[in-house]
Amino acid sequence: MSYYFAIIGTQDNPLFEYEFGTSKQGGDGQARFAEQARHLNQFVLHSSLDIVEEVQWTNGQLYLKVIDKFFTSHISCFITGSNTKFLLLHQPPGATTTSSSIGGATTTTARSSTSVGANPTSPQTEEAIKAFFTEVYDNYVKAVMSPFYKVNMEIRSPVFRQRVAAAGRKYL
Amino acid sequence: MTPPPAHCILNFNKTVFALIIINKAGGLIYNRTFHEGGLNKISTNDYLVLAGTFHGVHAITARLNPLSPSTTTSHRTSISSTATAPAGGAASAVGGGGGMLTRPEAPSGLEVLETENFRMQCFTTLTGVKFLLFADTTQTNVDLAMRRVYDLYTDYVMKNPFYQLEMPVRCDMFDRKLGSYIREINNR
Amino acid sequence: MAHLGPGKAASSKEQAGLRYPSNGKSIYHRPLNRTKTAELSQSSFAYLFSEMVSYAQRRVTGIQELEKRLNLQGHPIGLKLLDLLLTREPPRTQTRPLTIIALLHFIKINLWTHLFGRQADRLEKSSNPDTPDEYMIVDNEPVVNAYISVPREMSQLNCAAFVAGIIEGVCDGAMFPARVTAHTVGGKEEGEMWPGKTVFLVKFQPEVLEREALIGKG
Repeated sequence: MSYYFAIIGTQDNPLFEYEFGTSKQGGDGQARFAEQARHLNQFVLHSSLDIVEEVQWTNGQLYLKVIDKFFTSHISCFITGSNTKFLLLHQPPGATTTSSSIGGATTTTARSSTSVGANPTSPQTEEAIKAFFTEVYDNYVKAVMSPFYKVNMEIRSPVFRQRVAAAGRKYL
Repeated sequence: MTPPPAHCILNFNKTVFALIIINKAGGLIYNRTFHEGGLNKISTNDYLVLAGTFHGVHAITARLNPLSPSTTTSHRTSISSTATAPAGGAASAVGGGGGMLTRPEAPSGLEVLETENFRMQCFTTLTGVKFLLFADTTQTNVDLAMRRVYDLYTDYVMKNPFYQLEMPVRCDMFDRKLGSYIREINNR
Repeated sequence: MAHLGPGKAASSKEQAGLRYPSNGKSIYHRPLNRTKTAELSQSSFAYLFSEMVSYAQRRVTGIQELEKRLNLQGHPIGLKLLDLLLTREPPRTQTRPLTIIALLHFIKINLWTHLFGRQADRLEKSSNPDTPDEYMIVDNEPVVNAYISVPREMSQLNCAAFVAGIIEGVCDGAMFPARVTAHTVGGKEEGEMWPGKTVFLVKFQPEVLEREALIGKG
C-alpha cells in the first residue's frame, strides 16, 4: 500500500507533499510507486480538485471521504475551514497489475484483505484516513497559527513533516 | 483625620468642585469645574498662570523638605495622616506608605492646601503629572476620589491612541466617565 | 505544478538551517486547546492596540486609508482564527459554514466569544431591497474601542475597522468574499446608553449570492 499526500492551498497551489507507504501488517513505510507514476500522481491528485469544488458546497463536513478514482488510485479529501484541501492518494497493494481485484475477496490474499486500505471504501479505511487527516489538521492549524505564516505559503517546517510522517505510521 | 460626626454627613456642601491636571513641565492640560458657584470663575489665562505658579511652588516646597532623604525612608507616614496639615500651610514631604521601598522616595512637596472655603489636594504621579482636586473642606475620602480620577486618567487618556503626551487632554470618553463619577460623589 | 521535492531530501536540507527554541519545543509541541479558556489582560491589549492605531496612522493621507490599514491588520487574524475555531469545535458540530446565515452565526457566536468573551449583540439583514447582499453585525460596546476617544476632526473614524478586518478575513477564508466596514451609530448625547455602538456592515460579493441561490435550489 502506497500513499501520496498533498496539501493544496486556496489558489490550487501545493503547500506540502509527502509520499509514504503503509506501516501496518509489517509494512516498511516506504512508498512503492513506479517512477513514472510519481509524476502521474500529482496530476491525478490535482485533477480531483474540480470534484472537490463540487462536493464542498453540498456537504459541510470537513472530511469528504473518497471523492475521486483514477484506475486503481483512490483520492480521499479533507477540506479545512479556510478552504485548504488535504488530498490523499491511496493505492491498494498489487492493484497496479490486477486492477479488477479491488475488494474482491477471492483474488486478494487473507493478509491484505484485513489491512487498512486493502479496500479503499470500507468503513475501517475511511475511519483510519479520517484519523490521519484529523491529526494532520491539528498540526496544520499549529503551522497556520505561527505568526510567520501567511495563508497559501508553502509549509517547510521539518517538525511538521515529522508529525505528518508519524500520523501516517500511526493510522495507515 | 477623625470621621465627621453623623450630622455633618448630611451637609449638602460636601462637594468636589474642580479638577486641574498639570503636566510635568507645568503646563495646564486639563481643567474642569464640576460644581458651579463653589469656586469663583477665573479666565482661561488665569488657569494657565495658576498651573504654572503651582508647579513652581510645588517644586520649591519639595526642596523645603526638612528631613534628609535617608531619614525619610525610615520615617514613613501615610498620606492620609499628612492630610491633616495645618490650614493654609503646606509641605509635608513624605512618600506614600508601604514597606517595600528600596530607595528613598523623592520628597513629594505640597500635598494639601486648605482655606476657609475649600481644600485642594495634590497628587503627583511617578511621571510627574499633577492632579489638583478642589473640594469642600468637609469632603471625605478625597484620597479615594483622587485614586479613582487617576485610574480614569490612565484608562481613558493614556490608552487612547489619539492622545499625545504632555498635550491638553481632549478625550470624550474621559470627560464622560469623570463627569459621571464626580456626579456620583456629589449626589451622595 | 511546482514539485516540492521528495520528502527526505527536502527535510534534511532544511533541518540544517532551523533553529529550535532553547527548550526544544516548537509551536507543534503545544496543545491547541490549552489556551482555549485563557484570558488576556485588557490593559495590555489596550496599550498594544493603541500602538497599532498610532502605527497605522503614520503617513496616512486620510481616514479611509487609516481604516483600510487597520482592516489589513485584522485580515490575517480572521483567516487564522477560522481554522483554529473550527478545530476547537466538538466533532458533531465541526462543519464548514455553507450558507451566509451559518457563517454569520459562526462569527456572531464563536468568533465573538473567542475574541471578546461574549456574543455580538445583534445580527441583521439589510431591509433595503436594493442591497440584499448587505448584513449587519451589531456590537453595543466594542472591546477594542473601550478606551478610545476619537478626536472631533476624525469623527468618521471607527477603530473597530480592525475587527471588521478580522470579520472580512473569516468571510474570505470561508469562500464568502466580502467587504466589511465598521460604522459608529451611537449618539453623542449625554444620556446615551451605548455611545460607542458599532455596526459592522458586511457586503458580500455578487458571486456569493449567486451560489447561495444555486445551493438553495439544489
